[in-house]
Amino acid sequence: MIEAYHLSKVYSRGVYALRDLSLTVEKGEFVFLTGPSGAGKSTFLRLMLRQELPSEGQLMVSGRNLSDLRPREVQSYRRSVGFVFQDFKLIPRKTVFENVAFVPRVLGAPEASQRRKAFQVLKWVGLQHRMTALPLDLSGGEQQRIAIARALVNDPMLVLADEPTGNLDPDLSLEIMNLFREINARGTTVVVATHDRELIRQVGRRALTLDQGQIVETS
Amino acid sequence: MRALKYFFAEAGASLWHGRRAAALAILTVTVGLFLLGFFLLVNANVDRLVAQWAQAAEMSVYLTDDASAEQRAAVEATLAASPLVRSFEYVSKVDALARFQHDFKDLAGLTNELGENPLPAAFEVRLRSSAGDQAGIDALAASLSKAPGVADVRYDRQWLNRLLLAVALLRGVSLVIITIVGIAAALTVANVVRLAAYARLDEIEIMHLVGSPAAFIRGPFVVEGVLQGGIGALGALLLLWAGYAVATARYGTMLADAIGLDGLAFFSPMMMLLLVVGGMAVGCVGGLVAARGVR
Ligand SMILES: Nc1ncnc2c1ncn2[C@@H]1O[C@H](COP(=O)(O)OP(=O)(O)OP(=O)(O)O)[C@@H](O)[C@H]1O
Ligand SMILES: [Mg+2]
Repeated sequence: MIEAYHLSKVYSRGVYALRDLSLTVEKGEFVFLTGPSGAGKSTFLRLMLRQELPSEGQLMVSGRNLSDLRPREVQSYRRSVGFVFQDFKLIPRKTVFENVAFVPRVLGAPEASQRRKAFQVLKWVGLQHRMTALPLDLSGGEQQRIAIARALVNDPMLVLADEPTGNLDPDLSLEIMNLFREINARGTTVVVATHDRELIRQVGRRALTLDQGQIVETS
Repeated sequence: MRALKYFFAEAGASLWHGRRAAALAILTVTVGLFLLGFFLLVNANVDRLVAQWAQAAEMSVYLTDDASAEQRAAVEATLAASPLVRSFEYVSKVDALARFQHDFKDLAGLTNELGENPLPAAFEVRLRSSAGDQAGIDALAASLSKAPGVADVRYDRQWLNRLLLAVALLRGVSLVIITIVGIAAALTVANVVRLAAYARLDEIEIMHLVGSPAAFIRGPFVVEGVLQGGIGALGALLLLWAGYAVATARYGTMLADAIGLDGLAFFSPMMMLLLVVGGMAVGCVGGLVAARGVR
């Protein structure tokens, strides 16, 4: 599903965030990206969401080269991807429910289906009883579960998560990972960036270790 | 349809959220359209006035009391032959007196005391309003005043022309001012909408990242601008109407007496609609400018 060929991303003055990176992720796979700070994990995910374009090389998703997408195609591609941010990116002015329903809403879904979908995913992450709360009144783990619910509300074929457990204690982290395992069990491809090696060991999936923009280890 | 509902819901919430700044934008639109509307109203009423005056007798050719029938016929022939003359009417001494006594009832006694009719016979001439040929009219007046049997020629065409020139000048200046105010209103709307957009940059970022169509991202800003413009226009109309009502109540009869205008005119419903649509258009431009700035 994801194929990267000799992918490089250069920021100003020859700083390589990614250097000649090649990898393949199969459809339905669950893959960790790990490595020290500055290794290029977030950069890879940004390229995956087509927030940035590679400096060199190709990044293919479902057979489509992300560099060749026209603006409308970028929109439709992004609709098939769910993204979980390390800092959640919840809208503080909107309730939990509105935050989740926001995605189908701004994609023009009918109102009834917005509500039904939002309720379903909130129930799935176990927060249907906090629907009317504001995000800032929730704990970090709860906020992260909302962010995950929002990433799933549109039934994506691919879920990307950048340090989804960065701010959470180990027990909560494992709980969040179980959510991702469940998503994956339903056939969705999942890519999670984390530098928490203990967590990766506990979940026990393929992990690609990056350092200075290159894959240095596969396990 | 669903998109429109979304645009209006978002724009409404955003307007309410930034209601102080929005009030400022609405106010600038109101001021701009008030000026425009005021100018249009004054213009329409001046036009009516000018038309009315143009209708009135424009040239009077007074005859001496001892003018012969041939002399009178010669004057009449000159008038009939002139291309500048639209129509003319002979008012005899008797008719003139009757008119005078009718128009100035208080003074009716005066003419009786005089024992004779002091008013001259005259031709009242209407010039073609399209005839802008001042020199030709001057020449006609000059030749008529030298004709035997003619006591005097009076015409107020010159004065009317000066008035028309002044009105045209006023029109030009007003248009410039209104254009400037219109641009200022659009810019204010743009800035206020952009300000409101900054308060929701997080939402806009998420919209981009989940693949929301560009129209969905920009629509609310455009609608917000349109709403500000529309509300501003309604405010301007309301102010104009209030001003019109006060002016009519206070000065209506005075105006009628002084310059012979029977009542002031307000906008036709079509014109009001145009003004509101104009305000919305200004707001729409502002919203579009703001939406283009949002990335
Ligand atoms: N926008 C940018 N401009 C310039 N350099 C950047 C930019 N984004 C990232 N970099 C650089 O690219 C390299 C990789 O950064 P990246 O954020 O991908 O690392 P990371 O693996 O996610 O690190 P962390 O674990 O700290 O999140 C770093 O050296 C970083 O300084
Ligand atoms: Mg990172």
